[in-house]
Amino acid sequence: MQPMTTEQIRVLIARGKMKDTIFQALGIICLAIGLLVIFLLVGDMLMRGLDRLNIEFFTEFASRRAHQSGILSAWVGTILVMFVTAMAAVPLGVAAGIYLEEYAKRNWVTDIIEINITNLAAVPSIVYGLLALGIFVYTFGFGQSILSAGLTLALLILPIVIVSTREAIRSIPAMIREGSMAVGATRWQTCRYHIIPYAMPGILTGVIIGLARAIGETAPIITIGALTFIAFLPPVPFTATGADGVSAGLFDWVMSPFTVMSIQIFNWTSRPDPAFEINAAAAGFVLMGMVLSMNAIAIYLRYRMRKNIKW
Amino acid sequence: MQTHDKPQLKAEARNLNFYYGEAKALKNINMPIYDKKVTALIGPSGCGKSTYLRSFNRMHDLYPGNRYEGEIRFFPDNTNLLSSDVDPIEVRMRVGMVFQKPNPFPKTIYENVAYGLRVRGEKNKRVLDEKVETALRGAAIWEEVKDRLQELAPNLSGGQQQRLCIARALATDPELLLFDEPTSALDPIATGAIEELVHELKKRVTILIVTHNMQQAARVSDYTAYMYLGEMIEFGKTDEIFIKPQDKRTEDYITGRMG
Amino acid sequence: MNESLHVSSQFDEDLGRLRTHVLQMGGLVETQISAAIDAYTTGEVASVKTIVETDRKVNDLEKAIDDDCAHIIAKRQPTASDLRLVLGISKIVTDLERAGDEAKKIAKGVRRIYEAGHMPAQYGVGIRHLAEAALTMVRQALDAFARLDGTLAVSVIRADADVDVEFKSIIRQLITHMMEDPRTITTSIDIISISRAIERIGDHAKNISEQVIFVVEGRDIRHNKEAIK
Repeated sequence: MQPMTTEQIRVLIARGKMKDTIFQALGIICLAIGLLVIFLLVGDMLMRGLDRLNIEFFTEFASRRAHQSGILSAWVGTILVMFVTAMAAVPLGVAAGIYLEEYAKRNWVTDIIEINITNLAAVPSIVYGLLALGIFVYTFGFGQSILSAGLTLALLILPIVIVSTREAIRSIPAMIREGSMAVGATRWQTCRYHIIPYAMPGILTGVIIGLARAIGETAPIITIGALTFIAFLPPVPFTATGADGVSAGLFDWVMSPFTVMSIQIFNWTSRPDPAFEINAAAAGFVLMGMVLSMNAIAIYLRYRMRKNIKW
Repeated sequence: MQTHDKPQLKAEARNLNFYYGEAKALKNINMPIYDKKVTALIGPSGCGKSTYLRSFNRMHDLYPGNRYEGEIRFFPDNTNLLSSDVDPIEVRMRVGMVFQKPNPFPKTIYENVAYGLRVRGEKNKRVLDEKVETALRGAAIWEEVKDRLQELAPNLSGGQQQRLCIARALATDPELLLFDEPTSALDPIATGAIEELVHELKKRVTILIVTHNMQQAARVSDYTAYMYLGEMIEFGKTDEIFIKPQDKRTEDYITGRMG
Repeated sequence: MNESLHVSSQFDEDLGRLRTHVLQMGGLVETQISAAIDAYTTGEVASVKTIVETDRKVNDLEKAIDDDCAHIIAKRQPTASDLRLVLGISKIVTDLERAGDEAKKIAKGVRRIYEAGHMPAQYGVGIRHLAEAALTMVRQALDAFARLDGTLAVSVIRADADVDVEFKSIIRQLITHMMEDPRTITTSIDIISISRAIERIGDHAKNISEQVIFVVEGRDIRHNKEAIK
């Protein structure tokens, strides 16, 4: 074969670079479309709901009159439900992930468990709602409470937490584990001093992604029977509530009826009065804000933690 | 020249076989490891030298499907390291290891060295401080890091990281120290420092070292074993192996000939 | 000795060239020695000049070979048989060069005798026999090196003892002559130095053979009479 002349090489490079440019342009266009849609949605919600976005909107309960309605019970409910969800899903999911990665023997049982976890992530959320209605609400008698809702959503995001925990653990180089075992550490010591701390950023990311998914879920919450209209807050621990003047216990709030943002929005959009549409838009914007700020916290924490972990 | 006193046995492989699942990786290995001497394992890639090395601290137990046959006797107490009655953790507490690529934990320099002691339940700050310093001195890195013990270990240079890993292994006073190609990721100067260190260390600990670098084996070891396809082809004094090996396969390998 | 090829063919070439150079140098030294013997018997003093010139070539080759050895050690870090070969060669060339020097001494001695007009004929047979024996030793030592033949090398070492015996008898003979006829002293001293040189050549051949044995078998048999029995 003849060696190429400089001229030929240049033509070849130019042709190759042309394709680069085309692909780059294509990529930018696709990205722009995606971003544009989101901006339009958020912008539209903001424009329509701007009127209602004031302090009262956050401090008022829902009302029959649209312009007096607020989201107090909804955002408090959302935060409390998310808290319960996190409290249930994180320890369970992380423990399960660690067990599967560090302790479980590789055999057909673990294979089946693995397939099941992947499938669980694909189960429609309404099915979780039905399951929870049967188990938490009736069998365990938790009723239509924050606890039931939190546990339901915890089930929903459990696969996400488990999978992200396992991914985070797998990204730790084997030589770190071997390094720990080689000085005579037990499996638990290795997990405690190394695996868990180093996997934390990844686990955290998974948890927040899971919570961000859970925060917008409506179907399972409706299924277990969250109220759509509620004019009180769950009892604050150690404060007197109601007429009897008895102090609420530390965990009384978990058994309280509740509503959440998504249900509030759903409720408002189904009203005939177009004024409620404005409320829905404003609440939608707030919900977006909650999700985005959760993601922001996740990114910040991950950055902070990863800074000290490298190999 | 070497002194002619008869060296003591520290360990001895007896009819050692090893299987990865069905694959036989070590075939009937018999070999002595002499006390306070450096023994080098050489051989082409895949000859089983790392597999053999990792049998001494039961590293294979971490992964499923691995199986040992035969014995590795450990002296003076004549324990069989491979016995199912002996907990691998107990073995690893007596046998330290330094890996191919420096693998400091993403923690402070101090914590890296103190880790082995913490695992053994040592909590006394004074004891920890003292042992960390001794280990770092033993690994010839104390002067370089004494003012920055609270810095993160991965920020050290490659050669320093490897010496830190040696300090980590030394902190718990192992009787046998395994080196798995400890300098393959290092530059010649850092390599020289590690080799010098090995020379110092053999005064107080027995060393078994796998190396791809034959010159390194010749430089640092007292005994050399040549392995090929899972078999121990030849074991002898390094001086003899490198000047007049008995087996043609050893000769071909160390002179760089096609077998 | 290991004859299979190195992974690095360049290394094979380097070692091959080194061995060729040693044999080339050996060939030159052989010519020097046989030319010196011829000059002794025939009185062809003219060849002395050639011998001295050849010595220059031998010296150049010695330096070149030493240089090559240093390069191979630096670049290849030879081990085992390769290491022994390179070490052996660097010692063999020293002995070869000295054997060449001895040949030069013989030639110069011959020139002195003939220029003084003396005929050394009466010692011709003994000296010639001694010289042939030494020359054969050199030849065989070089053969042993070329073929890496340890057995041949051992026989060369054994032959050295015979040369020593013969040398001593020549010396005794000369001493007798000098005592009988003091006029022969000048010539006799020259002849003593010639036979001393021949005996030295035998020693060098023996040294070369010892190195061949080291190269082939990895045994160092110097200063060890038991080893070759």
